[in-house]
Amino acid sequence: MMHEEPPPFLRTWKRVYAAVLLYLAVLIALLAWFTFHWNRG
Amino acid sequence: MRTLDWFVLAFSLVFIVIYGLWRSRDSGSVDKYLLAGKTMPWYAMALSIMATQASAITFISGTAQAYVDGMRFVQMYFGLPLAMILLSATAVPAFHRSGVYTAYEYLERRFDAKTRTLVSIVFLLQRGLACGVALYAPAVVLTVILGVPDRVTTLLMGGIVLLYTVAGGIQAVTWTDFQQMLIMFAGVFVSLITAILLLPGSTTLPDALALAGAAGRLNPVVLSFSWNDQFNLWTGLLGGMFLALAYFGTDQSQVQRYLTGKSIAQSRLSLLFNAVAKLPMQFFILLTGAMVFVFFSFEKPPMVFNPVELERMQSKPEYAALAARYDSAFADRKAAAERYLETKDPATLDEFRAANLRLEAARKATGANDTNYIFLSFVTRYLPVGVVGLIMAAIFAAAMSTISAEVNSLATVTVIDIYKRHLRKDATDRHYLLASRLFTAFWCAYAIGTAQFGSSLDSLIVAVNRLGSYFYGGMLGVFILAFYFPRVGATPAFVAVLLGEAAIFAAAQLTHVSFLWYNVIGALVVVVSGVAMSFFAPSRPAAA
Repeated sequence: MMHEEPPPFLRTWKRVYAAVLLYLAVLIALLAWFTFHWNRG
Repeated sequence: MRTLDWFVLAFSLVFIVIYGLWRSRDSGSVDKYLLAGKTMPWYAMALSIMATQASAITFISGTAQAYVDGMRFVQMYFGLPLAMILLSATAVPAFHRSGVYTAYEYLERRFDAKTRTLVSIVFLLQRGLACGVALYAPAVVLTVILGVPDRVTTLLMGGIVLLYTVAGGIQAVTWTDFQQMLIMFAGVFVSLITAILLLPGSTTLPDALALAGAAGRLNPVVLSFSWNDQFNLWTGLLGGMFLALAYFGTDQSQVQRYLTGKSIAQSRLSLLFNAVAKLPMQFFILLTGAMVFVFFSFEKPPMVFNPVELERMQSKPEYAALAARYDSAFADRKAAAERYLETKDPATLDEFRAANLRLEAARKATGANDTNYIFLSFVTRYLPVGVVGLIMAAIFAAAMSTISAEVNSLATVTVIDIYKRHLRKDATDRHYLLASRLFTAFWCAYAIGTAQFGSSLDSLIVAVNRLGSYFYGGMLGVFILAFYFPRVGATPAFVAVLLGEAAIFAAAQLTHVSFLWYNVIGALVVVVSGVAMSFFAPSRPAAA
């Protein structure tokens, strides 16, 4: 029988998922900046 | 390749096999052979999932993609973290709690035997065709670069995979994947750093990025949308999410990796690791390709990277004119790049851009299709001794990790969903263990056998790659019905899968939408038609 274990950090899985979403948003924003910065010419 | 490179390559291969076999010495039951007795820690599953996805050809063509087209390919992975979150929240607990060996076994618990069998057969056809291609495709490139016949390369890679996959089952596959992914990480970072270090002395990293940007190679985010183009932010997010949902949630070659977890939490962590690490990994692979492009702005690249094709071209009468045009365009581009390094004047970047367009037109005029040879041509000609062996080991590792997971999952579905379910229901554990080993050997031999005829199947390879994208949408749709729509019964789900597949084939034949949208179309048709039919057909309570 599998038990619902809490994650090793951030206490709940919902918070972990939210952190991954935030990470994705930041990563896409950084990549968008990277594109804009090196394609200005 | 020099002696030290061959030594590094041979040592890596031998070490991987011995380590994998050592870690899998306790595989004496079906549960341990196919699911590792559900004992795997998250980090082993995480790297195994990553290694399974990263095939050799993705490794080779990823860098080439950035060299010829820029970094926009990375957007294909934007939807992956979203898919990993959804799968962690739904599929992982559902599969774990139902105690299944395969994702398709779950479909019988939820619907009925015919839905399970239909989806299992679709998987066997799709993955079975793909595993021969996964072995042959990198062998073609390695053959030209290493000067070894492709049959030797496919036999070597296939033989090694057969050895540890048959002997150690999923434990051997997972632990070898773990090692292979570490070698791939090392290969990516060593080639990126070496490509930067090989640039002319006065070139700084910002200079290199400015040149790559001027030539349109640094474009990881494209905001404009087109239905026909998969490389933009919106298609990457939505189409990429559906592709990742289908691949990681319904393809047994991936599902089996996280079914081995010692708990739901460990399996979730393995998927979430990929959600976090996959995008940066792909970014660095593409950045390597962009830096190789900058390197070849100062060092003249061959007009055609495939030496066999170049030799063929040199015997043609039009070769001299093509070569002269190419040489002149390269000289202009190099001069513009050097002027930029001297002056840092942004106007010189315009000259560089214009000269690059002339060079690309000259290369296009050759009609050569040689993108898969770009990276390995750079590696073998310019990288230091020892590093070449490491990169080759990474390419072999990428190929073998994908093939071993495919063979392992094909054997599991054949034994659990077909043999045990329909042909021999009440045999002993020992019998099914033997059957699992034999079917693993069969699928491995099948992959090697298919790859032996690869040279006469080039057009089939294109067809197989295209066909593969036709099936995921239907498979994803039926799993969405299983997880989220308890009201939908067996017959509506079965008919809905057939309707979804028909919709995908119609979209492929009648429209020009990018293949990434096939998954969205197929899944939506399955879900909408399944739910609509459930209002008219009686349903049974969900058992899973």
